[in-house]
Amino acid sequence: MKRVVFCGVGALGSNAVVACRNLEARLVLVDFDRVESKNCLSQAFVKPSIGKNKADALKLQLSSFWGVKAESFGVRVDEGNVATLCGSADLVVDAFDNAKSRRVLSAWAKSAGKPLVHAAVSADGTFGLVRWDGRFAADEEPSAGAATCEGGEHLPLIALVASTLARAVQDYVERGARRDSMVALSGVTTTSE
Amino acid sequence: MAVLNITYGGLSADYPLDVDYPLTDRDVRRIAVEVVRSGGVRGLPVASLGERAFDDYVVDRFDTVHGGRRIYLRPKVPFG
Repeated sequence: MKRVVFCGVGALGSNAVVACRNLEARLVLVDFDRVESKNCLSQAFVKPSIGKNKADALKLQLSSFWGVKAESFGVRVDEGNVATLCGSADLVVDAFDNAKSRRVLSAWAKSAGKPLVHAAVSADGTFGLVRWDGRFAADEEPSAGAATCEGGEHLPLIALVASTLARAVQDYVERGARRDSMVALSGVTTTSE
Repeated sequence: MAVLNITYGGLSADYPLDVDYPLTDRDVRRIAVEVVRSGGVRGLPVASLGERAFDDYVVDRFDTVHGGRRIYLRPKVPFG
């Protein structure tokens, strides 16, 4: 069974994991952060998960709701542990919310020859990307005080990007396909085969 | 021949770029403002677009399998 490591299970990551629950693959969840009440607005967490580590909480939800077994690691990914966390992966998924962590994953995946797919969404909740490493460059976060995608009003777009990411994971696990997509409010567009 | 894809306000549309010189990111942003304002980008009707509307946008360039080039002008996507 293939092993898919999701790095970051916030808005895009948690919703993508839920959409991957029927996949014939071992799901591995990595996130150091804890569930806050505001996260329930746009992430796949339920109220009883508030206060728990996100990776652990999602693992528990997958088991409780659907009987899906997953692995969880409640740690921050950095240069020192990325090989340990992702070394046995058949596919690594980047759904981090910061450029620094995305670059750590990219650099390691290139050096290790691991397939890596990225997903990212704009601060105003109108646009998102799913791109394979090599065609992806991490964008820096906006300055303090700028808009973020934390509010619940962006859930439809977040769900669309997360579903597109889940489909990219599925296509890779089942057929080895690496397809990029661009997601706007007007729909999903494939931008490479 | 290159194709410029512009995403703005949740809408996305293509515009054929017939230029025979390399475009800088600044060129791409300037051209995008002009063509969107003029109504030349079908599916992207934003007549009142500001002069600096694309200043914080990212320009991606990819070669296609058919030998062409696609240029994407898009908002930054820092979140996950």
